[in-house]
Amino acid sequence: MEFNWTEEQREYRARIRDFLERELPADWSEVSRHGPGSREVTEFSLEFCPKLAAEGLLVPHWPVEWGGRERPAWEHFILGEEMWAAGEPRGAQYMNVNWIGPTLMRFGTEEQKNRYIPQMAAGKAIWCQGFSEPNAGSDLARLRTRAIRDGDDYVINGSKIWTSYAAMAEHCFLLARTGAAEGKAGIAIFLVPMSTPGIEVRGIPSLIGHGDIHEVFFTDVRVPATARLGEEGEAWSIISYSLANERVGIPRYELASRTLTSMVKELKRRGEFDNPVIQARAGSASAACEAARLLVYRIVDARSRGENLGAEASLARIAVTEADQAVTNFGLDFLPDAFSGHDYPDYLAHHERAIVTSIAAGAAEIQLGLIARQWLDLPREAS
Amino acid sequence: MRFIANEDQAAFLSVLDQMIEPHRVWRVAHDWSRYDWSAELDEALETSGFYACAAEPSLGLTAAAIMTYRLATLPVLVESAASSTLRALHAPDLPRPVAVIEGELLSVAPYLPLAKSVIWIGEDLVQAAVLPDGAVDPVESIFAYPMGVLKAPAMEWKTLATDPAIARDVWRVALAAEMTGCLKGGLDTVVAHVRARQQFGRPLGSFQGIQHRLAVAAVKVEAAYWLTVRAAQHPGTPEPSAALGYVQEAATPVVHDLHQFMGAMGLTLEHPLHRWTYRVRLLKSSMGGGSTNMRGVAAKRWEAA
Repeated sequence: MEFNWTEEQREYRARIRDFLERELPADWSEVSRHGPGSREVTEFSLEFCPKLAAEGLLVPHWPVEWGGRERPAWEHFILGEEMWAAGEPRGAQYMNVNWIGPTLMRFGTEEQKNRYIPQMAAGKAIWCQGFSEPNAGSDLARLRTRAIRDGDDYVINGSKIWTSYAAMAEHCFLLARTGAAEGKAGIAIFLVPMSTPGIEVRGIPSLIGHGDIHEVFFTDVRVPATARLGEEGEAWSIISYSLANERVGIPRYELASRTLTSMVKELKRRGEFDNPVIQARAGSASAACEAARLLVYRIVDARSRGENLGAEASLARIAVTEADQAVTNFGLDFLPDAFSGHDYPDYLAHHERAIVTSIAAGAAEIQLGLIARQWLDLPREAS
Repeated sequence: MRFIANEDQAAFLSVLDQMIEPHRVWRVAHDWSRYDWSAELDEALETSGFYACAAEPSLGLTAAAIMTYRLATLPVLVESAASSTLRALHAPDLPRPVAVIEGELLSVAPYLPLAKSVIWIGEDLVQAAVLPDGAVDPVESIFAYPMGVLKAPAMEWKTLATDPAIARDVWRVALAAEMTGCLKGGLDTVVAHVRARQQFGRPLGSFQGIQHRLAVAAVKVEAAYWLTVRAAQHPGTPEPSAALGYVQEAATPVVHDLHQFMGAMGLTLEHPLHRWTYRVRLLKSSMGGGSTNMRGVAAKRWEAA
């Protein structure tokens, strides 16, 4: 067992930090404070990601064939830590890097791959994820948006909700029901241009950054059958593959840990860090961040050896949630004034990202159920 | 970054598992004692050299911590924490079992009635002494250890040739390993119980109210384990304090839930749950307890901030 970074990994991290130092504008804290889904960050990402791509830092873990350098899983993760902790200047494009691109590589037709992946690798593609619906959130298999086959086309009707990045996305990775089958078996994936007639996007004012979540309505949206990814009924197995990576895709503990350090420095500056209660709470929050880090790293380590772990991802997700909450509560308890006004954009940014941690990418309660069944081998709840 | 054991560690832990497996069987202590000292297993581990593993470069404190964790999952008691860490690294000639006293020398401490030697961890000094016959008064206790107190402070103390701060961190790692193993032992026995125990026509473990709380406990145990294993490689950093503080802060709600889901059976000496939970209930105050260790994390992490 070995828990230290190699010299090569340290240098790689330093290279990313140098790049960020060079490329992020002076007012970046204020820009990124609005969230990865905001218009400001999305527009910035379209300038930033091509530069990242030119440095070989956008998709380093992808195959050479698709613009990558086949670098180890650890480098992909170090990159993710630095980007998220810096306010995610890749905006929505982190999804392309983490899972939409790899999913297309594995399941897409040659036409789909050639059409979409080069744009992603160049840092010029904004996608959104059309999964949740008003009556299908955690129970996603109950989704009702329907795609009816009509000759060589599908006609899509329905609506999606909580869709991040939808207002500026060029494409949607959409789940829709195609057949008569209920549940998971009747769902297919469609790669839908957001400019297709019949799509309407409405923003939802929220607590998590402006412009971050939306409703998306599909009214007689006609797409060619070639927009379908995989076969009808295959969506569930495809997204299970995609989201196995995504469950620990965002290294939230890194931003939490750096925010905590910033808060401690501020408390020291104010002469308040001598309080033993505050010291103990800071230590607890720090330990929570490190606990989350290690449970996530265990998964990355397995991935780096070509292994896929199961319930360990859910364990990590709960630990990450606890870390984000520990830091959020630390700030709210001991620096309450910092959450009003504009003097502490980094704390506000962390707060807005942290309050979604236990909900996004599979609610905490779903993760706890998975841990109970898959890790503890407890019997499924009676229906 | 590698989360799997090296070749030597894997071989070491494999043999260890074979040796400890027969001791997973629960038996009531003949005198209804709250602990079941396994002289047989303790001696077998000593004569096979297991307690010296920390001094082997390819095994290190990492292997010692994992061994202490695995031994603590058993319903029987052996003395691994001090022997495989402080003794192995800094006082290999001390006769064992070894008891450790923190702070006040004449305070009640675990293992003392069985111990052949004692290590005293003070603020600025770590000392060791061989215990003469009759040096200890046994103390009746609720904890699942043989508890005792020195009759007098005067002994032939020798200062260990190590930085006391590092020794304190090594001991934190040992305690974290033992506590985490105890929580794992308790969790496993409770999980087995709620899988089998039927109420309202279904297993207790099928109720979401129970599933989610045990799932949270599982997260705490896993996180504590990896914090401990990593900390074993980094004495002198905030990590040992974080590992011990984390499991100490997790201990109270987890122990509460374990007893809650075991119901009245968990209150008896006929069921082994207390063998783990009443070790945890002692260890959660070790080295000052959770808050003190978390303050240690803060002091070390942000000393220069």
